[in-house]
Amino acid sequence: MKINYNFAFFDEGSKREIRRATLKAIAIPGYQVPFASREMPIARGWGTGGLQLTLSLIGKEDVLKVIDQGSDESVNAVNIKKLVKATTGITITGITTEATIIQSRHRIPETPLKEGQILVLQVPLPEPLRYYEPSEYETKKLHAEKEYSGAWLMLFEQIMNYGHMSTGADHPVMVHDRYVMAPSPIPRFDNPKMNCAKALILLGAGREKKIYAVPPYTRVRSLDFEDFLFEAESFQGKSCRQCGATGVYLDEILDDATGKTFYQCNDTGFCMQRLNGKPC
Amino acid sequence: MALDLVHDLQRAYRKTVDSMSRPGLITNIKAQADKVDLEIGCFKSTVVLVQMLFDTEVTFKVVSKREAEITKLLNQLTYAKAAEAQTADFILVLRDAGPFGLEKALIAACPGDLTDPHKSSTIIVEADALSNERDLALAGPGIDAESHIKVQTTGNWVGLRAEKNSEYPLGIEIIFTDSDHNLLCIPRTTQIVKQVVG
Ligand SMILES: [Zn+2]
Repeated sequence: MKINYNFAFFDEGSKREIRRATLKAIAIPGYQVPFASREMPIARGWGTGGLQLTLSLIGKEDVLKVIDQGSDESVNAVNIKKLVKATTGITITGITTEATIIQSRHRIPETPLKEGQILVLQVPLPEPLRYYEPSEYETKKLHAEKEYSGAWLMLFEQIMNYGHMSTGADHPVMVHDRYVMAPSPIPRFDNPKMNCAKALILLGAGREKKIYAVPPYTRVRSLDFEDFLFEAESFQGKSCRQCGATGVYLDEILDDATGKTFYQCNDTGFCMQRLNGKPC
Repeated sequence: MALDLVHDLQRAYRKTVDSMSRPGLITNIKAQADKVDLEIGCFKSTVVLVQMLFDTEVTFKVVSKREAEITKLLNQLTYAKAAEAQTADFILVLRDAGPFGLEKALIAACPGDLTDPHKSSTIIVEADALSNERDLALAGPGIDAESHIKVQTTGNWVGLRAEKNSEYPLGIEIIFTDSDHNLLCIPRTTQIVKQVVG
């Protein structure tokens, strides 16, 4: 028996609703637009928000790349690729420059994004103020009033307690000097890639039913203090053991046999391409 | 060949996304518009946009000499409901709207509120012609160094639009189309400055 899927899984009504929300999100950078998130055949928290955005965008001519925490081959990335492939028949790639749409969880690729590309980021917690304000009604009000002293206070307390800003990932950003936004759990290393990026960045939160966007060439600033500047993770003096790359986000790996630590690219697609001698 | 409601609308949507995220970038949906076989009384590119965005959850207002007739046809086509310009999600300013059609739409359009700035109007405007001639200079998100446009239409839309969008994040979006089925989007974040010739 042949199962007839809708192209890109969704019925056209679902796509229309996401498309209307997305256009408003692009028009109001960093503002979270509510949408009627659909049930998806993958577990929530594994990218249903990002997947819904991808399915609302994708067409027969697209080439899709999916990465999960830097890897194209994780179970999550593979499941998403399978679903999109089964319902669209489109081409999947591991190479960032070949992709028209890149869906990612927890990383922005090392290869700089191009004009015309769309980066879709999966978001578990879209509300950057939730850490100190549990009520959705109240956080909406704080965004409306541009009342962000709580976000600054949170960072200040981290500096007082730990001597540094302890946001491992998802360090809040200010978008177009108006909205404080959760960049999704990307490492701080990736935050500057959002500033004046050449590609459109769309962010989707399935469980929390929010879509937001950073258009290309838009000012995105990581929150910090004049006398305590934002700092990305530093990999100074370190390089990838496999491809030799420097100035990229590296994973620290402990060699059980020798007891030594070594480093390798977190973005495995990027590393592979360098190993194969191809330009990234 | 009839308009494919899945694939043609997807292609038109992506062009709209490109134009909305890069104000001043003129895209073209002629390939899709040429397949529209309905006679509604507006540009075929407008029909494509309507089919892409309208359904029962949407309200709209038509500004045209043939408002009643076209409103009825669009309602039958999409099940979207007619509303007053002050509350409509979309306002369609058609080519026969008259010299003050766009001005009236801009004055009436809903800019949302501070809590829900997305609950604001999008105005779809049928212009005589769209180009990247150096008439108006654009700045803002989505624009690299500079972007120039020329919109052939009537009325003081630049000034009225600036007034409507003066309290960001409140504001409205404009999607221009023309008889060649070009698309040009101006989100609320775009600053428009008239180029001084000379
Ligand atoms: Zn490497």
